[in-house]
Amino acid sequence: MKKDIKEIRKVENDIYELLKTVMDPEIELDIINLGLVYNILYDGENNVRIEMTLSTPACPLGDAITDNVKNTIKKKYPDFNVDVDVVFDPPWDASMISEEGRQKLGM
Amino acid sequence: MAKNLHTDNAPSISTVKPHFLFAAIGFLVLGILMVLSSQHFFGIYYDHHLLAITHTAVLGWLMMLIFGSLYQLIPVIFDAALYSEKLAKFTFWLTAFSIIFLVYTFWIGDYTILLPYAATFMYLSLFFFIFNIMMSYKNARIKNFKSLFILAAVFWLLMAETEGLLTALNFKYHFYSASHLSHLHTHAIMGLVGFFVMMIFGVGTTLIPMFLISHRLNDKLLKISFYLLNSGLAGLVLTKYFLDYFYLELIFWLVIMSGVFYYFRYINESYKHRMKKTLDVGMKYTMLALVFLSAPIIISLLLIFLSDTGLKQYGEIIILLFGLSMIFGFFTTIALGQTYKTLPFIIWLEKYQKLVGKYHTPLPRELYSEKVAGIQFYFYMSFLLLTLFALIFQLPVLMQVATVLFLIVTILYNYNVWLMFFHNSDKYIKERENEILSEKKS
Repeated sequence: MKKDIKEIRKVENDIYELLKTVMDPEIELDIINLGLVYNILYDGENNVRIEMTLSTPACPLGDAITDNVKNTIKKKYPDFNVDVDVVFDPPWDASMISEEGRQKLGM
Repeated sequence: MAKNLHTDNAPSISTVKPHFLFAAIGFLVLGILMVLSSQHFFGIYYDHHLLAITHTAVLGWLMMLIFGSLYQLIPVIFDAALYSEKLAKFTFWLTAFSIIFLVYTFWIGDYTILLPYAATFMYLSLFFFIFNIMMSYKNARIKNFKSLFILAAVFWLLMAETEGLLTALNFKYHFYSASHLSHLHTHAIMGLVGFFVMMIFGVGTTLIPMFLISHRLNDKLLKISFYLLNSGLAGLVLTKYFLDYFYLELIFWLVIMSGVFYYFRYINESYKHRMKKTLDVGMKYTMLALVFLSAPIIISLLLIFLSDTGLKQYGEIIILLFGLSMIFGFFTTIALGQTYKTLPFIIWLEKYQKLVGKYHTPLPRELYSEKVAGIQFYFYMSFLLLTLFALIFQLPVLMQVATVLFLIVTILYNYNVWLMFFHNSDKYIKERENEILSEKKS
């Protein structure tokens, strides 16, 4: 049964918090505070789509990060189909890092 | 599956890993040979023991590291897969055999019977490597100045190797009468500046901004650097072959130096705009190596001026200083740094890529001992300093101490490399889970 909008937002917020445990292994900061996650879309059933980017298109850790996103979500929501869409428009830059992230990086 | 990722083209770990292992062992062998030959640093620079040491350093240590790193980075720099992994694996074994054969030949000083064969094997090995890179470039979706640096480097490698092979064959067949030393000089310039500097610059343009996390850099600086370096190098080599005219050589050296200067400006821009303010041990080595590159530049200028004055007796020691500052001051320093930046990620991806998110996994830098890497850094700096003093003031005992320090560096480096290779992910995860359980209980 499809969930209502309130429940959808609740799941999206929960996933947002979960993704704070997914680290960029090089920068050593989580992908939320880095500003790599552009959108979290949950359809109210069992499909979730994460629209995100990488700190550089050449990032050799791209697969590891997207695998981490999928595994982290599926650990809590095993029945979900998780689709990670990596986009480079808009390209990521340092202005997307949160205030908390800046403090952690000593910027 | 995420789309458009460069990792889709990444080579298998079995293609890359053996190069890092061979390089680590090559580095250890280099340390042993240095201790055994410390007295030879005060003789002629083309002494066969020094040639064995030089070729262990540039081929057994640095070249193998470059092969491994480049195979891993081709998907990133070219946005295409390596042309043939099978060829890369075959090239590894042929190169490994050729290096051992060549170094042994130099070590025993056999120039007439073994050297031509060893040089031919080496030439074939490098030719297969060059072919693989050129064919990969053909399929490249990114063709910019970063990838052109790589292409130019393999071109200069081909030239250096051809020169090296011809010189080796000439010891046996005597088909040209020109001095072997002048050919040795062009072989060294094309190999050290043409291949190694160009390759390190090319790979550095991708890796350094990526590790410092700096964006929107001025590619125009790279473009100018590329043209200056290559035109200066071509001019210098042609002058050495056909004119041997002092002022022209000087001009071309200055052109090369301006190329290096523009590259420095590019890296400086990346450094200034970096997001990661604290440099880890790998980046400390890397930035220091770039500063150290000024040493061979100053020494080479000194050499040119000395060759035109009556102070030729200092030429031998300065040529040796030039080679050592290039191989140890610049190349080895950057190689040590970049090993700590690339190898942990390669091993981490192999061991943990499928486990991230499911279990608590370590960070790549936790796969080696940062403490050992730090100690190694200070030993290495002491080695460089002592070597400089030992050679300038001609102090063999100090040189002996310096080489022992270097051997310690190679042992510490090997300790960390083997620590990464033998990292047991199952054991780590089990221990971590137990720790978390006991934390929860308490």
